[in-house]
Amino acid sequence: MAKRVLVVDDAIFMRNMIKDIFSSAGYEVVGEAANGLEAVERYKELKPDLTTMDIVMPFKSGIEATREIVKTDDKATIIMCSALGQESLVMEAIEAGASDFIVKPFRAEDVLSVVKKVIGEG
Amino acid sequence: MPPLDMSKYLGLFVSEATEHLEAMGRDLVELEKVESPDAVDSLFRHAHSVKGMSSSMGYEPIAQLAHRAEDLVEALRKEPYRKSRELVDLLLAAADMLLSQVRAAGEGTAIDPAHALLESLSQHVTLLTGSAPAPTRVATNVVVTRPAPTAPGQTPGAGTPSAPPAPGAAPTSEPVPAEPQGPLGVLPRFAVRLRVLPTCQAPGVRAFLVHRRLSMLGNLFDLKPPLEDLKAGRLPDGRIALEIETSGGGDAVDQVLRNIPEVEVTSVAPVVYGQPPPSAPAAPEGPKPVGVEPQRSVRVRTDLLDLVLDSVGELMLATARIRELAKGLPEAHRPSMEEGIYRVHQLVRDLHGKVMSVRMTPLSTITDRLPRAARDLARKMGREVDLVIAGAEIELDRAILDELADPLLHILRNCIDHGLETPEQRAAASKGARGRILITVRRARDRVVVEIEDDGRGMDAAKLKAAAIARDQITAEHAARLTDREALMLACLPGVSTARDISEISGRGVGMDAVKRVVEGVGGTLELDSERGRGTRITLRLPLTVAVVNLLLVRLGAEIYGLPITKVAGAMEMDPQSLSQSLGEPMLPHGTALVPVRELSALLGVAQHPPKGPRPYVVMEADPGRVALAVDGLLGQEEAVLKPLAKPLDLVPGLSGVTILGTGRPVFILDVPRLLA
Repeated sequence: MAKRVLVVDDAIFMRNMIKDIFSSAGYEVVGEAANGLEAVERYKELKPDLTTMDIVMPFKSGIEATREIVKTDDKATIIMCSALGQESLVMEAIEAGASDFIVKPFRAEDVLSVVKKVIGEG
Repeated sequence: MPPLDMSKYLGLFVSEATEHLEAMGRDLVELEKVESPDAVDSLFRHAHSVKGMSSSMGYEPIAQLAHRAEDLVEALRKEPYRKSRELVDLLLAAADMLLSQVRAAGEGTAIDPAHALLESLSQHVTLLTGSAPAPTRVATNVVVTRPAPTAPGQTPGAGTPSAPPAPGAAPTSEPVPAEPQGPLGVLPRFAVRLRVLPTCQAPGVRAFLVHRRLSMLGNLFDLKPPLEDLKAGRLPDGRIALEIETSGGGDAVDQVLRNIPEVEVTSVAPVVYGQPPPSAPAAPEGPKPVGVEPQRSVRVRTDLLDLVLDSVGELMLATARIRELAKGLPEAHRPSMEEGIYRVHQLVRDLHGKVMSVRMTPLSTITDRLPRAARDLARKMGREVDLVIAGAEIELDRAILDELADPLLHILRNCIDHGLETPEQRAAASKGARGRILITVRRARDRVVVEIEDDGRGMDAAKLKAAAIARDQITAEHAARLTDREALMLACLPGVSTARDISEISGRGVGMDAVKRVVEGVGGTLELDSERGRGTRITLRLPLTVAVVNLLLVRLGAEIYGLPITKVAGAMEMDPQSLSQSLGEPMLPHGTALVPVRELSALLGVAQHPPKGPRPYVVMEADPGRVALAVDGLLGQEEAVLKPLAKPLDLVPGLSGVTILGTGRPVFILDVPRLLA
């Protein structure tokens, strides 16, 4: 069965791009969220296999959202989407329970190779 | 890299592989009778385990044969209908051959390469799967020399002390398995080498992630580069090296790393300690080698063992409670009840003894790493040192051993750093260039005595006194009263160190006080002896176990407190008016000395209700000398099961634990040195 993905990013462009990467690789994007608050809500409702999480977002940061999601589901697989120069934020996210990270701008194959490794398929 | 010495794993290899192979035989017999997927799975696991163990040991013929057997079982697993009488016969022959190969390995005789059997297995694998079996990977950088033979009638194994090594012999130790967790409570350690790929855009974060994932798996050591550099992405050539202690085994480490992107695993290898220093004489040639007797053993998780011990402790407390209740019975019923209780008490004590013996672990589990540490330190400090360890096979409670590992290492550092002179200084003092450190372990009734002795420059009592006075640890008057031997103990006060060069290795005099505190924390004592120019000896006297302590119960107002008997030097009653005075401080005459008096209630910060007339005083060992604690009453001695304090009580200084009296009343056990600190 296709892995179910939740894409969290405040930029529609990024969400679409990430959605396309996953869809074209046979994953099922089951939902999107544009901020941390929404992310936590959607995660609870969808229980995705995988979540991509932007860090800097309105209302609630990706780090906070990650922390809350992991608190309710310690098996959550969350991959942070960061930019160069956000290293310390990513480390904070990892401490909060994020599984891994990708650095923007990213290529489809980079994203997929990270994802495959993290879900144990690579 | 020098070859890994696998000798110490030989005994365990033989016993464990034998168990697997015997189980294989049983599974095969079962399989012959009925179609059983469970038996096939079990067969596969056994063959796989034997393959893994023998390849780690470097026994290629065994690993190959086990691998081939595993291949055949795997083929059967996929296509169970291929099972035939012939295949079962072949696998039984393989299991038998493996058994005899393992025995040969244990005896140090030639291992039958079993070419014909290998060939036959290969043919069947090819027939069943349509492809030739894969080659077997075997560790090549290992050596296995047979350990010194065991004395007749003794089998090496948990609970049975092995023969003490000859004086000067290289330290031998109980076999410790590479993985999984050993029966003796030591986590296997693995050296991990990996590389963050150069294409990684955030190597610092990647390295941090590696660190975090591995930290969740076990304890990390020797991280290179250090965490700060790691996080900053300062990784020369992307490389990271570290050691990890984990019960998960090398496979788990490998698995975790393989799930981390942009990381290439260079190696995950078991770490073996305790290689003798190059100068240590080799173990003497024994008579005809005696085969390593297979031992029957099961592995028990150490935390499970702790739980069992806890339950036994509860049982002891419950027994004491029943005895207390029985006192209230009518006279007619009491004798038979008491007899029954006595019987239960005996049984529980017996059970306690047995559980404790299971927890016993040889000291070698912590001393094995000392030779290597000594060599590294000596090199760093420009010293030459021979470290000889004798008696490391003596066993102690694992809980004590766990506590002791760091202090022992610290003492060794002190010996090398402060005790031993440079080769030039030694030559000037007409000593051999190589310093000598002797660690001897022996049993003395219910205690284990560990002596660490060096032949270095010795300690200077006068300088220690001066340093202690300069740091306001003692008064000049107090210093004058101290004998030289007592003055040596000043080295154990915080901040007192006479080493001229405060070195990075032994720190800044924060060491010995911590060592002493740990040793006393497990109910032991520490003594120092030293002769200028001749060397220093540190003697640790340790209890075999920590769980049961003898307490002197004292009363303070309506409260009862327990004082560990090991720290009690005496108790007496005296009228407070008759106390001597020194500098306005009340002093209790005790033996030939005067001991300063302290109100226990004041130390604990509880209300004082001093009784009229004579008061009881308990003379306790403390730092830097004895003190007399004024209490309200002495209630007698009690054997108590020590229970650790739960949060947040463990944060209260001066409390070392709690116990429950037969009456059901909880009693705090006091840590007097900490109370006074």
